[in-house]
Order: sequence, then C-alpha cells, then structure tokens
Amino acid sequence: MASEKDPRRITALLAVLVAAAALALGLAACGGGGGGGGIEGGGEKEAEKVKLEGKASGDLTISNWPLYIDKKTVPDFEKASGVKVKYIEDINSNEEFFNKMQPLLQQGESGGRSIFVLADYQVVKMHKLGYLQEFDKAGLPEVEKNLVSSLQHPAFDPNRDWTVPWQSGMTGVIVNKDTAPDVRSICDLFDPKYKGKVDFLNEVRETVPLVMKCEGVNPDEATEADWMKAIEKIKGAAESGQVRRFTGNDYARDLTSGDAVAVIGWSGDAVQLQADNPNLEWRMPTEGCMLWSEDMVIPTGAPNPTAAEAFMNFVYEPEVQANIAEYVNYVTPVEGVKQVLAKREPELAKNPLIFPSASFTKNCSATPVFKSEEEELKVIKAFDAVLNG
Amino acid sequence: MRRRVIPYFLLGPGTAWLLIFFVVPLYYMGKLSLESGFVGSLEFNWHWDNYKEALSEYDTQFIRSFVYAGAATLLSLIIAYPLAYAIAFKAGRWRNLMLFAVVAPFFTTYLIRTIAWETILSDESPVTEFLHAIGLVPSGHILATSAAVIAGLTYNFLPFMILPIYASLERIDVRLIEASKDLYASAAQSFWRVTLPLSAPGVVAGTLLTFIPAAGDYVNAQFLGGAGNRMIGNVIQSLYLSQADYPSAAALSFVLMALIMIAVVVYIRFAGSEALMGEENAP
Repeated sequence: MASEKDPRRITALLAVLVAAAALALGLAACGGGGGGGGIEGGGEKEAEKVKLEGKASGDLTISNWPLYIDKKTVPDFEKASGVKVKYIEDINSNEEFFNKMQPLLQQGESGGRSIFVLADYQVVKMHKLGYLQEFDKAGLPEVEKNLVSSLQHPAFDPNRDWTVPWQSGMTGVIVNKDTAPDVRSICDLFDPKYKGKVDFLNEVRETVPLVMKCEGVNPDEATEADWMKAIEKIKGAAESGQVRRFTGNDYARDLTSGDAVAVIGWSGDAVQLQADNPNLEWRMPTEGCMLWSEDMVIPTGAPNPTAAEAFMNFVYEPEVQANIAEYVNYVTPVEGVKQVLAKREPELAKNPLIFPSASFTKNCSATPVFKSEEEELKVIKAFDAVLNG
Repeated sequence: MRRRVIPYFLLGPGTAWLLIFFVVPLYYMGKLSLESGFVGSLEFNWHWDNYKEALSEYDTQFIRSFVYAGAATLLSLIIAYPLAYAIAFKAGRWRNLMLFAVVAPFFTTYLIRTIAWETILSDESPVTEFLHAIGLVPSGHILATSAAVIAGLTYNFLPFMILPIYASLERIDVRLIEASKDLYASAAQSFWRVTLPLSAPGVVAGTLLTFIPAAGDYVNAQFLGGAGNRMIGNVIQSLYLSQADYPSAAALSFVLMALIMIAVVVYIRFAGSEALMGEENAP
C-alpha cells in the first residue's frame, strides 16, 4: 500500500534546479560585464549647489532621529513660513540609514527628503561620494550669526559650506549612583565587581576610542594596532561576561530595570533618564569623553532646497533653539540659547551637560577620522566580529 | 484536451507567486553573492571567495544557530506533544477554547511578544529571583544569555509545533486504540505502538515548522541575547546594514539555506518521508 517514493527523482529534480540556476548566473555574467563602472573615486565630483527660489513655500520632508526635536518647533515653522512639513523619525543608526538610502542617492535621488541629520563622519563620507549639495549662504543668515564659534571651522568643512550642526553631545558613562557609586572612569567598567551589569555602545567610533583612552592612548594619534588592541580588550570583556550586551539607546531599558548598573552612554539621554530615575547620572570619565556632532545636510536631488534652508535658518533663532534644547537636553550649537533659558528655566541653563564649559571637556576627543578606507573597513569588521560574538 | 489544461490554470496563481517572490529574488541574491567590490561599484565576477569566507569566518554563529534552533525544537516538542494530546483527547467541550488559547498570542506582533520576555527574564524579575533562589541560575541572570534566546525561540515557535501535532492526533480513529486494548495492550503499549506512530506526520511537520524559521531567526538573539549569543541571522543583518557588504551577506544567506536544506533532507530520510506524507507502512 505504501507508494514507493523514488529518492532518485528528488535528486534529479534538485540537479535540474541547480543546473538552471548555474545557467542563469552564467547569462548574468555575460550581460553584467559592462555596466559595472560605479562611483568609486567620486571625491572629484563637482558638488551640486542649492539654488534659492524666492520665498520658501510648498512641502518639505525631513529625516531625523527619534525624540530629537520638541513638539512645537515644526508647527511653529509651518505657521511662520507657510511650508508644509513632513517630519520623519526614521534614522536609528548612521550606517543603517545610509545603507538604506545609498541606492537612491547613487541615482541622484533623495527619497523625497530634503534634510538628513547624520553624524559628522557619515556626512563626510556622503560628501566624498558627491551625495550632498552646497548651501547658498544667502538663505542662512541666522546660522551665520548664531553658530557657536567652536563649531564654525571644523576640518572636514572649514566654511560650513554643506553642513549645519543640529546638536552636539558627549559620550561618557551613565551610572546608577546606588548600585555602582564608584564607577568614575572607562577603566572602572572593567572591574569584575560589575560583571554582567555593564553595557557598551555598539558604535565603533565611540566605544573603541573610549577604551583606548582607558589604555592611555590618544585616539587622535591612534594607529591601526591601537584600534585592534582596544577591540581585543573589549572582546575579552565580552567573552568573560563582564559586558552584558552591546546596545544603542536601549541601554535605557537595562538601566531602568536594574539589569545594568553602569553603561557607556550619551549625555542627553542621561538628562532625560534622570527625570524618571534621579539615581541615574552621566559622569565625565576621568579619562575624558568623546565629543560628537550631528549635522543637517541637503542631499542631491532633494526637492525644495529653498524650504530646507528656511528650516535650517529657523532653528538657529535662539528662541526656537531654546525650545529644542529644553526638550532634547543635548549640547546646543546656537549662541544665545543660554540667555533665553536662563530666564525660562535657570536649572537647565546651569547644567554642564547642556552648556559644558571648555574646562569641563578639556580631556575629550572628537570623533576619530580613519587614515584610509581600508583601515576603517578593517576596524569596523573587527568590531562587528566582537558584536556578533 | 481542455480537461488537461485546467489543472495548469489552477496552478497558475501559485506558480506566479513563487516565481515573482521566490525564484526571481533568489536569482538576484545568487548573482549578488558572487559579486565583489564595494556598494556602488559591485561587479559580477564569480567571486566564490564570498562563500569560503562565509564558512570560515562565521562557523561559530552557524553552529550556535543550529544548536539554539535544535534545543528550541526539542523543548517545543516536549511541551507541545502532551498539550496537543490533551486538547485532542481530554479537552472535551474546552477543546475550542484551548485551541484559541494556543493561537491567541498571534494577536500581538512577534516583536512585542519577544520584548515582553525582556521584562519576564529581567534580573530583578520574580522568575529570575525564584530560579536563583532554588539554585538553578547561580549567576543570577537569565536575560542576555543563551538560555534566554532558546526560551524566546521556544515560546515564539511553540504554536507551529502544537497545531500540526494536534491535527494529526485529532484525525486518529479512536477505534484503533480501542482495538489495541482489546488485544490486551497496556495503556503505555497502545500509546507507543498505535498513537505515537499515527501522529508521526504531525511531529515531523511540527519539528520542521519550528526548526527552519528558528535557525534563521535574529529577533530573539537581538533582544534576549547578550554579547556572544548572536545567531547567523544577526550576522547577515549586520553585514547588510552596518558593513554594507552585500555579497558576503548574500553568500551567507545561501549557505544558511543550503545547510537547512541538507539538515531537512537528512532528517526526512531518517524520520521517513512516509511519515511526512501521512502514509503508514504496515509492520
């Protein structure tokens, strides 16, 4: 009664499928030869330039990170300018956002978006590939007037021709004062007392340089060997169970549930977390912190760049920026906000995490720049290998 | 003539679906997996090194994925069989309610259900503290360990094990079991020699439906695992999105597919394709 299923028939079927696939691939090889080309070496590409067209109007789409703006600024801008804004919070990681957008950008499209907010190193990469537009400074008088002096001439964009800072911040340690009172440095995070209760950031450009600082290496002068040595140290801590897990913003969950007592974390988050749990505190590591900035940029092919510049200009009015600073609690790039906040909310105006003094950040380092693309790729690969255990 | 054509028409929608959403993407993935270079300047050149690299660099994660998926499948089976048996034979008028309870978690999304386990297994949760107190968890934490990932996988794929087993148990003609008792079989004997063999198709289908998606899962490892618990799905995700190394990611996906296919073929050869097809050999 059992029908004899011939196993050879299945094998034969598989063979046919494999043969078909091989044939199809062969055809692809013939057809795909010429089209390769690509955009490598796009550094020489002439950057597109914003052409202002009268007064801002129409629609504007902005991509930003979650919880990175207050609830008032966008409606206020719509009222003041008559521009209709679609504000999307779809950036969760510099790399992931870029890699999702890259196929569009390569074709000179921006996915309908006119402003991206991304980290310095990421916009530098995009600029090299010719994916960003240069501003028409005539549309940005408030930026010219109010950008803080320390951010006016960064090495990657000395005249701020294609970037406008959105917010800056510091990466250090966030501790629970009850359960990890004596964590004051990055080195302390390796103390076996806190085994399994420590989270590290999954950001290679922040976690690794901080660990280098613990080792006494200046990240600005680090060689590839220094990077690898620091990654090796992180690997050891991950394998021994010292590091519980590698997180993004979600270290907040571990801190509030008590699963982690000390993490590598961002200054603005700590100010927001403190509102819920006063025991949580951001500390400047004794080795110093990492300083970073995120920039607004206009991608090539962006619709309505006039409105995009109008928005950038609008958030550089101190009154408007004060609303944002009050909500996000990161370091604001706009001069005059402290004075506005001193009247509105004196506590915030005194907070060194929002208005850090030069002496407070004297040991901090800027996001490191890799010497070559090969080095960058090698380091990222090694760090990802640690993340993937 | 017409009668011969109709079956092909009936196959049409299914074939078209398979072609557009499986064969075509598979073809592009296959092509991608043999390309080399960086995004933006990828070139097709039969770059088999992607495969060599995939196997040599990520063998740990492959083995880990299969161990986790295997453990989750085994646990699911141990939990599912008695439950399916109870629903099929003992539930009486509660049967529909119990079946509904099995499916009810699907009313919440997969992601939310997994994240809920973060709270359940958190270090200061009653579950963890109880298990710690009775000495089962000496380290005091479950979350961010392999145990949490396996627990999450088991929980998430359990219904895929229960339903096919239930379906095959429910189909059993109870007169066969009565007959075995008439022939002086003990309860245990009639279970081992009648009920279990007759439900084998359900067990085989259930294990496949659990093991295959579990081996490729990455959500559980992402939320419930810690450093050193990432599965191959996480590696593929990070290759695609953080390193933008599409060819390696595609190659890795193909290797995963091939390994699962081999495992399934071997399993079916041993478990017997007759069991899967629901044909029972007379002893």
